[in-house]
Amino acid sequence: MNGVAQQSPNLAVSLGALHLDVPTLMGSGCYGSGEEYAPFIDLHGIGGVVLKSVTRLPRLGNPTPRLAPTPSGMLNAIGLQNPGIEAYLANDVAKFAARPCAVVGSVAGFSVDDYAYVTERLAARDEIDAIELNISCPNVGHEGETFACDPRLAERATAAARAATDKTLIVKLSPNVTDITEIARRVEAAGADALAVINTVRGMAIDVERAEPRLGNGSGGLSGPAIRPIAVLAVWEVARSVKIPIVGQGGIETARDALEFFLAGASAVSIGTGNFTDPRAPLNVVDGVRAYLTQRGHAALRDIVGRANPAFAGAR
Amino acid sequence: MPALETSPAIHRTTVSDRREPAPGIVIVGLHAPELARSTRPGQFAMVVPPGGERAATALGLYEAEGERVSLLLAVVGPRTRELAALAPGARLDVVGPLGNGFDVPALGDDVALVAGGVGSASLLLPAQALRAAGARTTLYYGARNAAALVDLELFEAAGASVVPATDDGSYGHAGYVSDALRAASRKHTGIAACGPSPMLRAVARVALELATPAQLSLEETFACGVGACWGCVIPLDRGSAQAPSFPPVAAGETRAYVHARICKEGPVFWAHELRW
Repeated sequence: MNGVAQQSPNLAVSLGALHLDVPTLMGSGCYGSGEEYAPFIDLHGIGGVVLKSVTRLPRLGNPTPRLAPTPSGMLNAIGLQNPGIEAYLANDVAKFAARPCAVVGSVAGFSVDDYAYVTERLAARDEIDAIELNISCPNVGHEGETFACDPRLAERATAAARAATDKTLIVKLSPNVTDITEIARRVEAAGADALAVINTVRGMAIDVERAEPRLGNGSGGLSGPAIRPIAVLAVWEVARSVKIPIVGQGGIETARDALEFFLAGASAVSIGTGNFTDPRAPLNVVDGVRAYLTQRGHAALRDIVGRANPAFAGAR
Repeated sequence: MPALETSPAIHRTTVSDRREPAPGIVIVGLHAPELARSTRPGQFAMVVPPGGERAATALGLYEAEGERVSLLLAVVGPRTRELAALAPGARLDVVGPLGNGFDVPALGDDVALVAGGVGSASLLLPAQALRAAGARTTLYYGARNAAALVDLELFEAAGASVVPATDDGSYGHAGYVSDALRAASRKHTGIAACGPSPMLRAVARVALELATPAQLSLEETFACGVGACWGCVIPLDRGSAQAPSFPPVAAGETRAYVHARICKEGPVFWAHELRW
């Protein structure tokens, strides 16, 4: 110690009305409801958990196998297995009050009305701090991702959910589109408070011995370090196109990975598959980002958001 | 299997010993006092990749005694190659113990342990627990050849009679271990099995023929290993004590199974409750 009081850099971020002390969310479908990881890390150290997506009706999910490891990543096709909003509200949501971090509900649907209905029901609960709209699940046939791939439908789903709640609304975008910036602008115009960029990248692996796809669903969503460059570019492009904050995600395992997203223009990051490699990843990311800012003399994370992106359009 | 009251944690361990009983099969001993103390028969661990940048590897906890646990692994790809190359003194972070192990008392007093390949990793602790409970055990152990049948003496030291089976007929019964089980001269009170999925399905069929209750420890690709991602599910009878509470998918639905997580509700299930 040199006797000089070193102020720890401010890592806080606001996504609409949702305030996070640290800029890390845990990706939907990767973290359960948080309690699954509570034995391994102190959940005070994460910004928040994005819950597994819930739909209007119960879903059994896809046939097995649902996972296929691939180079630097993995394919998954879970198929939105969930108990449906009624049973979820009755049996699960009350437990989330105990989480020492933000709790973001995730809503998936197959119609504009689904998004409105489930958002309204879920957001009405005090245990839920914000809503993420999953318009980009690649694993439920064409219907799931349709909303993220059609600018008009993306706008309508967002507007319907917006009308259903005043809580922070984060809309999760798909990389499986021709121009993600157009979708981003339409979703912003429809009232989203923030964008999650990106969901998984569609992919397939084939078992050559059995001459059939490795996943029961055939295709799946690719996650992990393999998709990080795709995600960084998507954030970089979206950050030039909208003013609302971006939650960058796709293959983040370390602080340096997260910094790429912040420098591209993300205000926060989300860690999904990285938790599977090491449950301490979220804490390591925060420590490393703090060290990077301290070393460079930045007082706050917002000082570096979009730094590598000359046309960054968002508010720092 | 009844849910175990366990306290999983991330253990910072050090490799204490390493041996290679057969080409491509490696046993890594770890100094891990807390893990050794808390591990129950049939539980597993997720091993954090020492070099990062890979997925964690789920492995059965093979031995657990004093301050040492060990992992038995077959080198099948980059992750297991990395683990197999660890030398004594290397650091290894291990998340565990995870899952619900075997219901040892429910196996009775004359138990068939059935191992396929390195599935034996999940059967040594049950063998030791059964001996401690005064039960008689027989290990039906199948592998591709005689060399791949490893550590027979450890199982014998745990009181098990060993009935070997090899694909190439180089030792013991020539053919599948499930056939060796079917040809058994004695009537067992229970079966505990671990191995590749086709072998477990065959064991489940034999168990049905013999009307012997069987507990199967399923091998599956895990992503999280802790019940968070729902990637490793198996269709399980809705009425099973292990079935997660889950409403019918549609009104009037007749589907009699739910998707249970192998890593969380399992990895051990009663064979007669699986709908696979």
